[in-house]
Amino acid sequence: MAVAARTWRPQIRVAGWWRYVVALVYLIFVLAPFAYMGLVALQSDAAAGQGDLLLGQPHWDNFTRIWQTVDLGLYLRNSLIVATSTGAISSLLALGAAYVVARFRFPLRNLFRVSLLATQTVPGILLLLPLFVIYIIIQHSIELHIVGTYWGLVLTYMTFALPFAIWLLSVYVKSLPVELEEQAIVDGANRFQVIRHVTLPLAIPGIVVTFVFSFLLAWNDILFASVLTSPETKTLGPGLQYYVSESFSIPFWNLLMAASLVVAVPAMILFLIVQRYIVAGLAAGSVKG
Amino acid sequence: MPVPYWLLSPSVIPLVVIVFIPMAFAFYISLTGLNQNTIGDWTHAPFVGLKHYLDGLDPRGPLAPSFYTSIKASVVFSVLTTILILPIGVGAALLLSGRLRGRTFMRAVMLLPYIIPTFVNGILWRLVFMTNTGIADQMMGALHLGARDTFWLIGPRSLWALVLADVWASWPFIYLMALAALQTIPPDVHDAARIDGATPLRLFRLITLPLIAPTLGLGIALSTINHFNNFALPFVMFGPTPPDEVNVMPLNIYVNSFITFNLGLGAAMSVVALLIMLTPAVIYLRAARIGDTD
Repeated sequence: MAVAARTWRPQIRVAGWWRYVVALVYLIFVLAPFAYMGLVALQSDAAAGQGDLLLGQPHWDNFTRIWQTVDLGLYLRNSLIVATSTGAISSLLALGAAYVVARFRFPLRNLFRVSLLATQTVPGILLLLPLFVIYIIIQHSIELHIVGTYWGLVLTYMTFALPFAIWLLSVYVKSLPVELEEQAIVDGANRFQVIRHVTLPLAIPGIVVTFVFSFLLAWNDILFASVLTSPETKTLGPGLQYYVSESFSIPFWNLLMAASLVVAVPAMILFLIVQRYIVAGLAAGSVKG
Repeated sequence: MPVPYWLLSPSVIPLVVIVFIPMAFAFYISLTGLNQNTIGDWTHAPFVGLKHYLDGLDPRGPLAPSFYTSIKASVVFSVLTTILILPIGVGAALLLSGRLRGRTFMRAVMLLPYIIPTFVNGILWRLVFMTNTGIADQMMGALHLGARDTFWLIGPRSLWALVLADVWASWPFIYLMALAALQTIPPDVHDAARIDGATPLRLFRLITLPLIAPTLGLGIALSTINHFNNFALPFVMFGPTPPDEVNVMPLNIYVNSFITFNLGLGAAMSVVALLIMLTPAVIYLRAARIGDTD
């Protein structure tokens, strides 16, 4: 034992030294583009346009100008409404289905579970195209407008958010002890009460993860948003492009970078909150299935 | 106990209405000449059968150059990026699963490129690769690696601009998968091997790698699929008229469907894209159900 300890302890010290060099390389690789964004965000219009690599006087007022140059407040509000609705509705609907998948056997159960995973591999554009055509047909035939509404967008995001949420929550619910539910049934609770008072409180960590994933799916989208929004319901994805559109005499790269940093913050905070659940969830989802 | 189908239906009905019916409808559209003139009266859109598929897939067909350019661009992009992010992601996972001061901080920072919205990522790299004024050209000029007016956003180099932008943003996905897999390895497995005198390299090759291989396989399949379906990054970096090298299938389909409004042709292309993705998708579906016996 003592011999083994003597032979490998110095190795760890040497390996430890290399570890910090590698860590530094990773840090620079990850953070340098963010530093560049920060630099440009604080530059004057002219300096950003010429691509200066030095920061003269920092233009902190860029962070107030972003709200006046384009209607960033509206896009932010729209994105918040659509992303929050997508996250909340998907998670709630999914909990019921996930509960049934986790606790019951029924005909076509396996086909249902495979199709949940299979939808994750479908290109977004394959669904956008027929959905767009269907929405237009509905609009022509019964005068019900879907394109350009919040709920039309939320419904469309659910094509991807709902299957993922059901899958993840069913894995989670399955890991919960079934005894508590049985006890509640013995005590005279009906199925809804069991889910409401027993399963739901225990599944909160899983629900948080599905909410965040569904929220980010909507928050980060540009494909569906560029086709299915109107000027009033435009979200951040297509909205941000206006800073460098031809309607201005010069492209506002500095404002675009400042606004990009601002809209990235909510996504980052949400993701970092659920970080530890995600690593655990990925392990459970991929290893235990 | 009776199966509570009423709990299942609020999810199954929307799935049928917004996923399964539209997918079936997409196949039908791909067999018609649906465009902006016929969309108001879609039942009368001319039925053209396999015309769009033959136009694009027959090497002598009128649309074959555009079809094959996009298929090639998509395959090259998704395979190349997946190969590149694999060592970067596994390396970071190995580094951050071991003992390291500031590990919690590092773990959070490593995720940042993956979390920022893809459209923000596209905007950032469009600025980096601007001709003359972008930091890429300025650094190439300063280091005498190339001319300051090198084109990155048009012409053949656009592929490398897209690959670099994507590698930076997507490697943490492999890192997350690898980290999750590493955490399931009991520490005494490594301790035992070390006491038996295994070098770190042998330890990785003979013990760690086989243990994380199933999860990595899942990560590779998913990464290939996600890259193949990536619309946002090439769209934001290159716009609706991209260079051939980066005219990936989702972008080509988008232009055909929503800019020139040739919906039948766009649907046919997206069906082809789905069929190409069948191989990694089947690998993914099989891998994701490992150990699933019930």
